[in-house]
Amino acid sequence: MMDVKRVISTIERKYIINNLKKEERIDGRGLWEYREFKIDSDMVASAEGSADVMLGETRIITGLKYDVGSPFPDLPDAGVCTIMAELLPLASPLFERGPPDEQSIELARVVDRGIRHADCVQTKKLCIKEKEAVYILFVDMYVINHGGNLIDCGGVSALATLISAHIPEGIYTENGIEWTGNYLTGEDIVNELPLVLTYGKIDDIIFLDPSLPEELVCDGKISISVTEDKITSIQKSGATTFSFDEIRMLGQKTIEIGKELRNKLNFWQYKVKID
Amino acid sequence: MVLIIKDEYPDKLFREDGKRLDGRDKNELRPIKMEVGVIKNADGSAYLEWGNNKIFAAVYGPREVHPHHLAKPDRGILRVFYRMATYSVFDRKRPAPGRREKEISMIISDCIEPVLFLELYPGTSFEVFIEVIDADGGTRCASTIVASLALADAGVPMKSLVTAVAVGKIDGEIVVDLSGIEDKAGDADLPLAITWFNNEISLLQFDGTMDAEEFDTCLTLGKEAAEKIYKIQLDTLRSKYISIQESVSEISNTSGGEE
Repeated sequence: MMDVKRVISTIERKYIINNLKKEERIDGRGLWEYREFKIDSDMVASAEGSADVMLGETRIITGLKYDVGSPFPDLPDAGVCTIMAELLPLASPLFERGPPDEQSIELARVVDRGIRHADCVQTKKLCIKEKEAVYILFVDMYVINHGGNLIDCGGVSALATLISAHIPEGIYTENGIEWTGNYLTGEDIVNELPLVLTYGKIDDIIFLDPSLPEELVCDGKISISVTEDKITSIQKSGATTFSFDEIRMLGQKTIEIGKELRNKLNFWQYKVKID
Repeated sequence: MVLIIKDEYPDKLFREDGKRLDGRDKNELRPIKMEVGVIKNADGSAYLEWGNNKIFAAVYGPREVHPHHLAKPDRGILRVFYRMATYSVFDRKRPAPGRREKEISMIISDCIEPVLFLELYPGTSFEVFIEVIDADGGTRCASTIVASLALADAGVPMKSLVTAVAVGKIDGEIVVDLSGIEDKAGDADLPLAITWFNNEISLLQFDGTMDAEEFDTCLTLGKEAAEKIYKIQLDTLRSKYISIQESVSEISNTSGGEE
């Protein structure tokens, strides 16, 4: 495995591209193969749900916090779920300190859209009283090590976090919110399990789950979010173009690979049990 | 098992049997776990679990200074950035760095700088990034420990490691290593750090009230506790090199067999 920290030399770039043309990858994977996912959940005691997800060398730790606030006027009976991402300067020399840059906003937005349009979070269940009080969920992703393909790792991490949720249940009274002592868990609030799959493209070769060196040399990427049988959001990024046939093929492929991955990761094992 | 931290302060911080709420004796530390080299991209890194505290640190450097005007022509600079994750505390923390985080960053930087040979690296910077993933009292001490481990892991020349621990007063009794609840509900909190090359104190803050005798006890107990932690720090660093040594000797053994 190449030890890439900041820049890729021309010789490394050629090596990666020539291998891809032979349908081989520098870490020995096939074109449609993921690196290994390692997931640990609910390990942050201060958070109302959390997940530590590693995809190869990429590592993202996500936590869930909640607040009670007023709903949006056009959705008086729906709670809110917001997703934020931070590319910590600790994770890579490529990341700098300061306010969120394009890359971290794209990560948060793509993961957010995948979840939002998939009917994943049951926002109606996050309503305490119509027009008055709803839960606002904050799903915050922190990148701990950047080894490429932050989006797919973030998607799994956000989903595992929501499934591990345990939010105190409140009821609305005249004197404010009263806590019942029960908890809303991932089982109550999560319905569909959306996954986002990212492909890199170099010349006319497309491959799944670009690692960092591959990401640094590729012309562009496309991220497709899918539920069990539907495509829910797409993001094309980078200065490249995709043909109509390629997009059709990727749509099909994403649903197939998504199904396999969803079975393999078995997300419901991360739900919490509260006695 | 689900861990749920409640935002309630108990009336008493000692149990009937004289132990503290989490079952510890007065001079007992919470369980500590350390690891180095956890972040592959960094020049050096470390991870620390201390009770419910979970903290990562990564070191980059020596590298170019940004912004450039901070660079010093005759020596390197050390910059420490202590940050907390939004979900690491009971009420969600705002994502932007606050006053508290900036102050603690400065305190830790001042605490560690005496052990470095910065005059060997003119015009460059060492940057230490500390991320608190889960917080439960004593994060500035824990961050100091993990930052000094990460610097050692990065191979930065150091006079010695730095160890920090908090001593405090709860319900009138002096105890070491305050937990989150003890910190908030206790009477006094005294974080201190020791640089081992000269056995002196390089971080010291104090909030609360104490008489001279109690203060004296604090310093003694603090040093005793720091010595225990220092041993774990050294073992953590050693175990990394022992494991490298073992894997190398395994390889040389197998290749030797083939010849």
